[in-house]
Amino acid sequence: MELSAISIFLTNLITLIGLFIIISLSLNLEYGYAGIPNFGKLLAVAGGAYFVGAVSGRILALAYGQPAGLGYIERNLEVVGLLNSAISSSPLQSIGFLILSIVGAAFFGGLLGYVASYPAIRLRGDYLAITLLAMGEIFWVIGDNWQPLIGGSMGVRIPDPFRWIGSEYRPLAILLTVLITAVIIFLYLEYLGRSPLGRVLKAMRENELSASVYGKDVVKLRTKTLIVGFAIAAISGALNSLWTVSVSPKDFERVRHTFMPWVMVIIGGAGNNLGAVVGAIIFVTLRELIVFYKYFFEAIIPFDVVWLEYLFMGIALIIVLMYRPEGLIPEKPTRTLSEKKIREIAARTISEKPHANS
Amino acid sequence: MSIPLLRDAIVFASILTMLSTGLTLTYMTTKVPNFAHGNFATINAYFTLIIAKLLSINPYVGVVTGFFLGGAISLLLYLLVLKPLLDRGASYIILMIATIAYDMMLISTINIIADYLSRVHKITSRLFQLREWGHGIEILGQPSIFIVAPTLAAFLVISLYLFMNKTKFGIAMRAAIDNPSLAETIGINVNLTYAVSWFISGGLAGVGGALAPLQMTCNTDTGTRLLISIFAASIVGGFTNIYGAFLGGFLIGLAEVLGTGFLAINFGSWVVPYRPIIPLILMALTLLFAPQGLTGISWARIFRGRGT
Repeated sequence: MELSAISIFLTNLITLIGLFIIISLSLNLEYGYAGIPNFGKLLAVAGGAYFVGAVSGRILALAYGQPAGLGYIERNLEVVGLLNSAISSSPLQSIGFLILSIVGAAFFGGLLGYVASYPAIRLRGDYLAITLLAMGEIFWVIGDNWQPLIGGSMGVRIPDPFRWIGSEYRPLAILLTVLITAVIIFLYLEYLGRSPLGRVLKAMRENELSASVYGKDVVKLRTKTLIVGFAIAAISGALNSLWTVSVSPKDFERVRHTFMPWVMVIIGGAGNNLGAVVGAIIFVTLRELIVFYKYFFEAIIPFDVVWLEYLFMGIALIIVLMYRPEGLIPEKPTRTLSEKKIREIAARTISEKPHANS
Repeated sequence: MSIPLLRDAIVFASILTMLSTGLTLTYMTTKVPNFAHGNFATINAYFTLIIAKLLSINPYVGVVTGFFLGGAISLLLYLLVLKPLLDRGASYIILMIATIAYDMMLISTINIIADYLSRVHKITSRLFQLREWGHGIEILGQPSIFIVAPTLAAFLVISLYLFMNKTKFGIAMRAAIDNPSLAETIGINVNLTYAVSWFISGGLAGVGGALAPLQMTCNTDTGTRLLISIFAASIVGGFTNIYGAFLGGFLIGLAEVLGTGFLAINFGSWVVPYRPIIPLILMALTLLFAPQGLTGISWARIFRGRGT
């Protein structure tokens, strides 16, 4: 398959869109459904990537008798090279490594979500937002400096689970993996949103007190939401590092992984999974187009045009907040049973004529 | 504890104080934690750089321009973004996100300025510092920044105290903070007092930012990194009291520099990059044991003791 510039651009774009859809969907669960202002998205995304760099690569090294301790970091290129040639000939082990990485990252993300729930069940509103923001930042600082983890700011290379496919089809395989994961997560969250749990979360978002009056355990619900939300975001981080076959703290930052998902969810429409998807598509496309035409702009203006993206995002966000606070795709009212069905049930269960519901 | 370390700690604490006092002031008025506050400072650090390198003027001039520029940027945020949203009855989360949107615009502006300075004027605009001014020029045998920063911080907070307690407008401002609807009924222009407090807040941040490059290495992300310390200082101070924020700023600033210095001497220099963990720990301890902050407990007790 001959990859022209356009098709490379499109594969990259769609993969990135998929990755950001996963992050914004997880934020939509936390903020849109449960009303938790999670400003620590960076914590979850970097957590997933750090897991792949620090743990799943090492497990593979251990399985093939390679150094898994400090040696994994110190002789990283050599070890990963050996591991790559070992797993590239066997699709089974490659896929096993891929699944191990994704599932492990999700579990580690869930663990981080549990840690984040410690402040999240004690603090409300702005204090919680600040604390989670700070936690994400600290986690990033540790990864950037503590060499044994993922090699500090230099980062670490990881084995490539898509190598057996061959370099021609590798981008396509990753694209499909990311898209399939995103679709599964979307369907799961749609299902969750329509389930009783989803309605309870929305009830909690609207009024915690009245939700707890009806016997809903708010503490448990918040913890559950954060565990699931963090696990989903961690999958995105893991996929991102499997795509770039390296984990580097430089790839994760507050603006890109905490603020941008917020912009996507708010502009797309909070409390609505489709809105999160649309928001991610719009902003990733905008960014990639700016990067794609970077050299065209470069000749005219004396600064890196990438920065214009933030300017556009800021302005767009403020305009949406002012004139369309519900987002491009507003949240739909929770679906209830049709009136006909309610009457049917009522007729079955109550002998006398039911009161008309209008 | 070495003398240069102590000096660094006091200068950093003074700068942090100016930032946390401003952040708390706007939090008290509009009840929104301003995520753009750190970059009010960064943009003024760049203006100090422009003043020193492009215009070849003493960068201490930046303090004056910093106050007005920082104030103007902050006022714009209030008037163009937050006020319209408040009028529409936006929730605090929406307001927080609006400050993030503004922060993104500031980040963009700062990076564009930095790129412009380095590409067109060939000035080092990433990881720059002006220590030759801050430490090269001496006042009374001490580095000038060590004299200027604490003096300025003390001066600004004392002026703020006098303004809020001794002038009619300042008292009106306090009334508007305590109870906006009651203040409105007695004819106080609440919107004006809020706008002024946003201007002062940005002005304080601007002065802090203008002084920053004279002391430490600054970069386009300085404000973003500093934000954690600013929030920690405000929360330690109680977030509802500007004098608490002053205290919190000093405490966090000293703890950060002295704590890191102390640990580095005892455990080796590898601890230095972990410096941001110190404000987080202090913040967590405050939230766990004294959620109202320093001013929430001890001060109230002292006042009660004296009052009765």
